[in-house]
Amino acid sequence: METVAPFKEIIDVIKENGGDSFKYCYQCGRCDAVCPWNRVQNFSMRKIVRQATFGLTEIDNEGIWRCSTCGTCPTNCPRGVNQIEAGVALRKLAAEYDVYPGHVAPVRNVVASLTSEGNSLGGDRDKRAEWAKGLPVKTFTEDMEVLYFTGCYLSYDPRMKEVAAATAKILNKAGVDFGILGSRESCCGESIRKTGNEELFKRLAKENIKAFIDHGVKKVLVSSPHCYHSFKNEYPEFMVNFEVVFISEYIAELVNEGRLQLTGEYEKKVTYHDPCYLGRHNGIYDKPRELLTKVSGLELREMADSRENSLCCGGGGGRIWMETPKEERFSGLRVRQAVDAGAEVLVTSCPYCITNFTDSSLDLDESEALQIKDITEIIQEVI
Amino acid sequence: MGDVLVVGGGISGIQAALDMADSGFRVYLVDKSPALGGKMAQLDKTFPTGDCSMCIESPKFIECARNPNIEILTYTEVDRVEGEAGDFKVTLIKKPRYIIEEKCTGCNICVDYCPVKIPDTFNQNLSSSKAVHIHFSQAEPLVTYVDPETCLYLKEGKCQACVNVCKAKAFDFHQKPEKVEVEVGAILLSPGFDTFDPKLRNDFGYGIMENVVTSLDFERILCATGPYEGEVRRPSDKKHPHKIAWIQCVGSRQANLEGGNSYCSAVCCAYTQKQVILAKDHDAGLNATIFHNDIRAFSKDFERFYQRAEKLPEVNFIRSYVTVGREIEESKNVTIRYSTLDEGVKEEEFDLVVLSVGLNPPKDVEGLAKKFGIELNEHGFCKINPKNPIETTRKGVFVSGAFQGPLDIPESVVTASGADALCGELLNYRRHRLSRDRVYPPERDVSEEELKIGVVVCHCGANIGRTVDIPALVEYASTLEGVSWAGENLFACSTENAKQISDAIVEKGLNRVVLAACTPRTHEPLFRDTCREAGLNQYFFEFANIREHCSWVHSREKEAATEKAKDIIRMSVARAAHLEPLEEFELPVNKTAMVIGGGLAGMTSALNMAQQGFEVYLIEKDADLGGMARKIHYTLEGMDVQEHLNALIRKVYQHPLIRVATDSTITEVTGYVGNYTTTVNTAGRKPRKIKHGIAVIATGAQEHRPTEYHYGENDRVLTQLELEGEISSQNEKVTGAQSLVMVQCVGCRQEDRNYCSRVCCGQAIKNALKLKEINPAIDIHILFRDMRTYGFKEDFYREAASKDIKFIRYEPQDKPQVDAAGDGLQVTVADPVLGQRLELEADLVVLSAAVIPAESAQDVGRFFKLALNPDGFFQEAHVKLRPVDFAADGVFLCGTAHYPKHISETISQAYGAAGRAVVILSGESVTASGSVCDVKEDNCVSCGACITACKYGAIEFHETPKGKKARVEAVLCKGDGLCNAKCPTGAIYLKHYTDEEIFAQIDGAVERPTCQMNQAAKRPTCQIEQAVEQPTCEAAC
Repeated sequence: METVAPFKEIIDVIKENGGDSFKYCYQCGRCDAVCPWNRVQNFSMRKIVRQATFGLTEIDNEGIWRCSTCGTCPTNCPRGVNQIEAGVALRKLAAEYDVYPGHVAPVRNVVASLTSEGNSLGGDRDKRAEWAKGLPVKTFTEDMEVLYFTGCYLSYDPRMKEVAAATAKILNKAGVDFGILGSRESCCGESIRKTGNEELFKRLAKENIKAFIDHGVKKVLVSSPHCYHSFKNEYPEFMVNFEVVFISEYIAELVNEGRLQLTGEYEKKVTYHDPCYLGRHNGIYDKPRELLTKVSGLELREMADSRENSLCCGGGGGRIWMETPKEERFSGLRVRQAVDAGAEVLVTSCPYCITNFTDSSLDLDESEALQIKDITEIIQEVI
Repeated sequence: MGDVLVVGGGISGIQAALDMADSGFRVYLVDKSPALGGKMAQLDKTFPTGDCSMCIESPKFIECARNPNIEILTYTEVDRVEGEAGDFKVTLIKKPRYIIEEKCTGCNICVDYCPVKIPDTFNQNLSSSKAVHIHFSQAEPLVTYVDPETCLYLKEGKCQACVNVCKAKAFDFHQKPEKVEVEVGAILLSPGFDTFDPKLRNDFGYGIMENVVTSLDFERILCATGPYEGEVRRPSDKKHPHKIAWIQCVGSRQANLEGGNSYCSAVCCAYTQKQVILAKDHDAGLNATIFHNDIRAFSKDFERFYQRAEKLPEVNFIRSYVTVGREIEESKNVTIRYSTLDEGVKEEEFDLVVLSVGLNPPKDVEGLAKKFGIELNEHGFCKINPKNPIETTRKGVFVSGAFQGPLDIPESVVTASGADALCGELLNYRRHRLSRDRVYPPERDVSEEELKIGVVVCHCGANIGRTVDIPALVEYASTLEGVSWAGENLFACSTENAKQISDAIVEKGLNRVVLAACTPRTHEPLFRDTCREAGLNQYFFEFANIREHCSWVHSREKEAATEKAKDIIRMSVARAAHLEPLEEFELPVNKTAMVIGGGLAGMTSALNMAQQGFEVYLIEKDADLGGMARKIHYTLEGMDVQEHLNALIRKVYQHPLIRVATDSTITEVTGYVGNYTTTVNTAGRKPRKIKHGIAVIATGAQEHRPTEYHYGENDRVLTQLELEGEISSQNEKVTGAQSLVMVQCVGCRQEDRNYCSRVCCGQAIKNALKLKEINPAIDIHILFRDMRTYGFKEDFYREAASKDIKFIRYEPQDKPQVDAAGDGLQVTVADPVLGQRLELEADLVVLSAAVIPAESAQDVGRFFKLALNPDGFFQEAHVKLRPVDFAADGVFLCGTAHYPKHISETISQAYGAAGRAVVILSGESVTASGSVCDVKEDNCVSCGACITACKYGAIEFHETPKGKKARVEAVLCKGDGLCNAKCPTGAIYLKHYTDEEIFAQIDGAVERPTCQMNQAAKRPTCQIEQAVEQPTCEAAC
């Protein structure tokens, strides 16, 4: 057995970086037992925590990068370790030295793209509003009801642009007076922050805040739980408070207020996936389900792991940008759960989840064909 | 008008009520549930002795019921409390049972006819009961009650089936809540605890997956009176589970989880090990897995108990908290995911999952606190004074049992007796004013009368009657030789029927009574008492057990059972003919106490007894009082120990009734309960003989001197006590240290000292926190095997972590290595999670050395004839229910002489011992059984075999004109009869179990000339065994 000495200076740096809660760990192993990683391959959060406790963190391998920040272990930790915040403290250590080993390497490109273009997909800033071309979508002005903050994926990703379009259709149908910021919109910064790049997060956040203030924004509608989380829980660190509303909640509200009628039929077996940042991180479980059950003909089924125990797609914590070999993808397990639940449609409302699930669903047998949809795509079919 | 109101009739309340009633106070014992018993009544067996929980608790129900100074009020809530210590007015609300308690015989007929099935709460809703039912079959009082929520009559005015079938006319549906006002001088709160509800967090599938049960559910599943009649089955399909998982710390040790408790519930590790052992008894092939964090085997004999469970085949203890995976649709099996160090996370399937749920404060604890005007601690338990854990924040209101915090049964009993001691202090001025003795008619001399045996056959409701033909038995009994009258009873034990028996004794002139009914174990005292009521010597009573020995075991063979019952009755009648009247001795009590050991325990105990008005001799071998506590300066909870100790010493010296003898040892003890004479040698004085009625043993313990880790060689290696001394004297070497490593379990939890010293984890954290307070920059590492910060101490464990004190687990086969390095020390220890050895710098290494028995324990034990356990600590009479008594009457135990314990625990136990002692001291006399041994001196050959056999030192040689003969000191004899078996000449014999009596019984068994002769000849063995065994067991208890 190798002999090592605790590294006091590193312990202090980790602490300063936000890793103070590591100290609470009493090594019960519950984080490992609940971690989705251990459904695909061995990974020990407990060991990551233990190494950090003694300043023995290894920044040159991928261990500290595995966490998808799904939030399962912190909500299960009996001692109050915040594995996400503390885990980011370790990544800061690596990011500071620009160490992005192996599959983590693509983060470098993302950093470049976010820095220069304000999005993580390598698109031009000028083309951020291109998804709305030909659609009745206006640029936001102060007198409008709500700002639709489209987000990077819905602005640039070909599949996700369809979701943006569906959203616009619903809003228009309900007569919502909304607008977008186009090229003045930047990435919310949530995920890059989780890679330990605090500086870049701050820059993006400030850009957005400035844009919001410049345009007189009061209420922000978002399609991504990551944007939602960041605006709601992280932007207040800059002493600003915008009203943030998530698309599925907003639609439910429109329906309840009678502004939107669900007239059509949707005769399908549907299962709903709780995105980590909507469910565990922000406690929204019921509203999307309520909305779905209002759709006539729709049969809602639950997967093996739902609500608080929802199985992460694998895309959080910057993992969406990293390479994950096929056999290590949680999303593969998740689409299997959807099939096992007898669903024809796996519906959710997170661009990362949809991207990962769509990818994994391609591996299913033809007989098991599973559609992956955003919740707006079902709603637009019944209005 | 009474002296004390005891609120909560679980084991703690029961014990307190009994002790108080027996020390001259009148007690109201109130419980909100329909029967006494509390949670203990629901348990199957108790750890670590494996006693049947109900069997050891239920005799105490009857004791309470028969005690003239205890008034039991069940199904009663406290409504209002007014007044102050010494003068409380309490309003009680007796909830309507819709049954007239005095009339109900508990026959259960109404239950049979009631059409409404409801979940049986006593069986944790795993089986069903009826809208009218008895809480459980051994309930005190044994009467039914109607559930108003489900009763068809009370709900909708329909159905009165029960009323029509009740022969006793006990129903009264017009009952209303009844106000009862009582005046008392003191109040004891013993409301117990509730189990944690795992549905709150919903994280282990309880209430969703059928085969996930709580540990209390599992107690009922294990129990013979449980939902599956003692077969271990699982709820989904009632099949025997072959693979069971236990999940520890459910609801406990969770600082961060909503609905959970940050503290450790202290009892779950041991009860789980017990459940594993019991489940393995049921099914030797069972595969049992226990998922745990630290194993907290911190109490007496628990380490061995853990090892016993752990060594069983196919029992796996896995150190991991877990998550419940899923329920498998077809089998309803449940999967569990857990982590391992070598093989990562695994998922395994189990037939049944048991959640080891923790202890919560009792329901509606805020309401309770408000009513009684007491404060609660941050966990919702009673806020207590660490200097006296039995006191609440309100004068005159005391607390015992698990409302103090998570406690197990012995501590609940200790604090109950301690509450008696404190009430005694408060109410000494009114002792014996309200209490009353029982008065019996004068005893009839029957020596000249012809034999007139009366036989009463009891139906025991349907228990006996439905299997055995009672009229046939009555008819048969009346034909037996010597029987002059035979009759029958529905429930002999009901007040009404017992009166009928005593009337028959008088009217028919009976001089022997045979009762064919249940077991002498629980009911003999009652019927002996019935005989006394009728002026008949109580030893003329004879029990024929036709329930446990017949109807229960032969319920499907009615005819044969009736024949066997006849055999049993015939045997008892034959024996009864030979019974002799025996006298019970009343021995006067010397009202002086002696306390051996002037430490915290001894002084606390002595001062309490003195304040209750009794003279006390306090014997201390050292020059000063104080004992080990002199070396302890503060507690984890922040108590200033020296301040408390000095105040106590002052009070002890100042008390006019306490005589302190320091520099003193004892050299000889003679006598027995109530009348001891002890020789005390004081340095520089002539030995003196002191007469006393009782003794309290408080000889303490000491710190082991380590023989490893360079202790004694390197002055940077200290023990925990030495460290505390240096901290308190602000030694620069300690206060200026930059790094410090503590090593736990030094000298214990190993082969030659196979126990946990209990206090060291708390001590280590205490000193570590103190050092951090002095110098926040100091690096402290604590190397441990299991952190045993049980109860509320768990909060300090987390606090230590929050102060960056680091904890590293080591395995006993790979102990830490301490080496000198330059100026300081270097400690190397393997960390199991890292899979690496950590090299730690240490200015100081502190060893948490074992607590070992005091050197004087051996001598004191020998003088008082007290047993020591294998570890050299004193052995109490019964681990669970007599935790401060010794097997020898009149000697009591407290403090670390019993086992290592924290200061608050020592104080509690010291009061407990004082409370028990005062039960004797406050009486005028002690009663010794008539069923004791005696010697026919002519037959005695002076071999001494009986003397060696006797565990109680009751037999000694004495000189007679015919030489040396054995003589029994009746008051010391426990009637176990061991000496009888050893005596080669039959010179020594046991009264009430003489050869004539037993031979007559055997002859009675074999004399019956029928074809069942062989069978009949076989059967009596059990009866004889029982007769002989019974006193042995009692003695062993």
